Amino acid sequence: MSSRVTVSKINFGFNSFSGLYLLALFVIVFGIWTPHLFLTAATVQSVASQQAVTAMLAIAVLIPLTAGAYDLSVGATINLSTIVCVWLQTVQGWSMWPAIAVTIATSVVIGVINGFVIVRLRVNSFIATLGMGSIITAVQDIVSGQSQPIPPTTTSWTNLTQLSVAGFQIIVLYLLILALIVWWALDHTPAGRYLYASGGNPEAARLAGVNVGRYTWYSMIASATVCGIAGVFYGSLTGPSLTFGVGLLLPAFAAVFLGSTQIKPGRFNLWGTILAIYVLAVGVKGLQLITGVQWLAEMFNGVALVGAVSFAMYRQRLAQSRALGRTDDPLPEIAEPTPIRTEDVVGLVPSRTGDGG
Amino acid sequence: MARGSLSPTLAEGGARESRPGLRVRGLTKSFSGTVALSDFDLDIEPGEVHALVGENGSGKSTVIKILAGYHRPDPGGEVEIDGLPLPFGSAQAAHEMGARFVHQDLGLVLQLSVVDNLYLGSGFACRFGTIREADTRRQATALLRRVGVQVDPRTPVAALSLAQRTGVAVARALEGEDDHQVKLLVLDEPTATLPENEVHQLLDMVRRVAAHGVAVLYVSHRLDEIFQVADNVTVLRDGHLVTTVPVSSLDRRRLITLLVGDELGELPTPEPRGTNGVVPSLSVRDLRGPQVRGVTFDAGPGEIIGFAGITGSGRESLLGTVFGALPRLAGIVETSGRPLPPYDPRAAIAAGLAYLPPDRKVSGAMMDLSARENLSISGLRQFWRGLLLRRGAERAEARQWFERLGVRPTGATEQPLANFSGGNQQKVLFAKWLRLHPKVFMLDEPTQGVDVGAKGELHRQLLAAASGGSTILISSSDLEELVALCHRVLVLRTGRVVAELHRSSVTTANISHACLGEQEVVSL
Repeated sequence: MSSRVTVSKINFGFNSFSGLYLLALFVIVFGIWTPHLFLTAATVQSVASQQAVTAMLAIAVLIPLTAGAYDLSVGATINLSTIVCVWLQTVQGWSMWPAIAVTIATSVVIGVINGFVIVRLRVNSFIATLGMGSIITAVQDIVSGQSQPIPPTTTSWTNLTQLSVAGFQIIVLYLLILALIVWWALDHTPAGRYLYASGGNPEAARLAGVNVGRYTWYSMIASATVCGIAGVFYGSLTGPSLTFGVGLLLPAFAAVFLGSTQIKPGRFNLWGTILAIYVLAVGVKGLQLITGVQWLAEMFNGVALVGAVSFAMYRQRLAQSRALGRTDDPLPEIAEPTPIRTEDVVGLVPSRTGDGG
Repeated sequence: MARGSLSPTLAEGGARESRPGLRVRGLTKSFSGTVALSDFDLDIEPGEVHALVGENGSGKSTVIKILAGYHRPDPGGEVEIDGLPLPFGSAQAAHEMGARFVHQDLGLVLQLSVVDNLYLGSGFACRFGTIREADTRRQATALLRRVGVQVDPRTPVAALSLAQRTGVAVARALEGEDDHQVKLLVLDEPTATLPENEVHQLLDMVRRVAAHGVAVLYVSHRLDEIFQVADNVTVLRDGHLVTTVPVSSLDRRRLITLLVGDELGELPTPEPRGTNGVVPSLSVRDLRGPQVRGVTFDAGPGEIIGFAGITGSGRESLLGTVFGALPRLAGIVETSGRPLPPYDPRAAIAAGLAYLPPDRKVSGAMMDLSARENLSISGLRQFWRGLLLRRGAERAEARQWFERLGVRPTGATEQPLANFSGGNQQKVLFAKWLRLHPKVFMLDEPTQGVDVGAKGELHRQLLAAASGGSTILISSSDLEELVALCHRVLVLRTGRVVAELHRSSVTTANISHACLGEQEVVSL
C-alpha cells in the first residue's frame, strides 16, 4: 500500500490525474451555477449509488482486459443474474440467500465456459464472448418466459443494497470493498502481474514461464463472478428489468478505456476506471440539473471517451517519437532475423500454450 | 578506378541492346563514421543472372537498400538502370525505373488467393468499380506462366509450396502495365527458407525471368545455387568489392576463399566428446524440430558454446526448440540427467534453463510494462510476502541490476521498456534471466540491434555468468561475437551439426568455411 502512495507522489501531475482536475472543475462550475441543487449531500449520495453497479460492471470488464481478453458478455451476464435471483425468490419461492448463492454459482459457470472457449477452443475472446452474450440472453428469455418477474418485497432484499450507512446506500460500500479486493489482486499479487504480462505480450509472458492460458481463464471467471454479484445488487437496488444489461455495456467499456488514461496512463487500471465512472457521472449530473435534457448522458459519455482516448494516443505518439530519437543508430548491416512463428509450426504437434486449469 | 562518366550520346542514341540493365559506379555508404560499402561497382547486362555474395556485414544489404531507395549513398556514386540515372533515396523512383525487389519475407497474405496477392498492390482490372474476375484471372495465369508457376490463380497462397510462393512473389514483382517495364529484379536470399528439393524450381523461375531480358541480381548464401544459376559473381568483403568474375572460371573452394579471405587449413571434423566423468548440465540427443533435423550435443558447466549457420540451417530455431519455445518433434533434452518435457517453458525454467529469444519486440519483452516488471517477471515469488507483492524490494533489485549492467537512464526502473534504447532494453532482458542464476542460459542473437558499448557489457556479463558455473549457449549470425566468446562452436547446415570447432580453431574464417560447406549439401 505504501509503495503505491509513493508512486502517486512522484507523478501527481496532469498526465496521470487530469480526471481529478476535471472533477474539481465540474464541482466548482456547477457549484457556482446551481449551488442549491448541485452542492447537496443528496446529489453526492445519489450519484454515488446510481453509478455503483456500472462501476462494478466496469471492474468486470477491466479484469480480463488486463490480460488482453475482451468480455462482451458482461451485459448479458449481469442481466441474467438479476432475473435469475429475482425469479428464484418470487416465482420459485426461494429465500434470499440460497437464491443469491445459486445466482452467483450460475455466473461462475458462465465464466468457466467463456474461459474454455477462449483458452481451449482458441476462439478470439471478442467473438467468443459476443456469441456467449447472445446465448445468455436466450437463456434469460427461457427462464423468465420473457415476462419481468415481480420484485421480492422482503425488507432483507431491499436492505441488501439500500441500507443507509453514513448517508450513503450500502452498495457504495460494497463497491469500495470490491474495488479494494480487485486493486489488491491486480496490483499486489503475482497473479495480477501475470495478467498484465499476458496482456502486454503473450508470447514473451509464455517464454518467461507465465501460464498465459490459465490466467486468461481465471480472469474470465473473475469477470463473470463480479457480473453475478453486481446483478444481484442491481435487482435489490433498482428492481428487475429484462434489458438493462445491454445499456450498461458501453458505459462500462468506456470507463475502462477512459480509465486507462488516468492514474497509470497507458495501462488498464482499477482506480482510473472508478475515477472515470464518477467524473463522467458528475459531469452528466451537473449538466442535467442545469438543462434538464435527457440525451446528455450518452452525448457526454461518447464525447469524453473519444476525446480522452484520442488525447492519450497523441501523447503516446509524442513519447514514442521521443524514445525513437534515443535509440541506437541502425548498424550498417544487420542480418535480418527470421523469427520462427508458432503458427508456422502449430500443425506439427498438439499445441500446449492453452494449458489451463 | 574508371568513374562512369556517362556520355549522353551513348545513353540516348546508343543501340538499345548495348545498354546495361544495371550499371553501378563508385557507390559508397557510411553510417555515422563506419563505412559499410566502399567504392562499389557493378554491371549487369539484360538477361544476365548476377550473383552477389558476401558474409553478414559485408555490405550486400546496403547495396540492395540503396538500389531500393531505402538508403541514400554518400555523394559521388552513380547508379543507372537501363541507361538512365537512378535518383537516390526514393523507392517510388526505383520502381518507376523498373527495379523490382523480392525479399526473404515475401510479403504475401497467406489467406488470400494467388490472384488477390498479385493485384492487391497494383489494383485489379475493374469495370464500373467491380473487379472483372475472368480478365484478372487470365492476366494472372499469363503472368504466372512467365515465371513458370503452374497453379490455379484462385488457390489460396497458404496451399502452395514455399517455392511456388516465392514464384508468386516474383510474378507480383514483374506485374506491370507494360512487359518491358521491368529492367532489374533483385532477389534477396530467395532460397534461404526453401527445402532442398524445391530449390531447383526456384532456379528455373530465375532463369525464365532472365530469359525475358531482365537483369537479375541474385543474393544468396548457398554457393551451390550460384554455380547452377548465375553467369557472373561479385564478391563483397567488409564493404569492399573483392572481384567480379564469370562463374565458369571458379570452383567452390576458390569462391569460399574469395569470400572469407583466408586460405583455409584442414577443417576439423565433428568428434563425439566424452563427458570426462562430469555430468553435463545440458545434454541434447537427436533433437528434431522446425528446421532442426537431428542435433546432438553435451554442454558442461562453465562452458560457452556458439551455434553458427546460414539462414535456414536450423541455427535460428535450435535453442528455441531445446528450451521449449518451439515444439520439439523428437529427441531428448536432459538437464543434469533429468529429462525435460517438450514445448514447456515453465518446466524448462524450473529445471534451471533460461532463454532469450531473438526478437525483443515479438517475443522478448513486454514493451508497455515497466523495466522493473519486465525484469522481475521471471520470478515473483521472492517478493510475495504477507499477501502483498513487495514493490519496494522489487524496485531495489531492479535498481541493483540497473547499476550492475549500467542501464541508462540510471534508476529509471519505472519507465516503460519501450522508452529505453535497444541496448538498454537488451540489458534489462539479460538481467531478467541472470537474476535467476540459470544453470543453462541460451541466447538467440544476443546483441542484435545493440550499440557497441552495450554489446561489450553484455559480453562481459556472459563471461561472468560462465565463470560462475552457468552453461552459455549462443546462437548468432555475428561470427566475431562467437569468436570472442565461445570455447566451442557448433556449425549447422540443413538442420544438422556438420562441424565442431574448438578453442584454437574458432576463427571467423573457419566458421564461415564450415557454414558454407566445402562439398555439396547433403539433400534429404
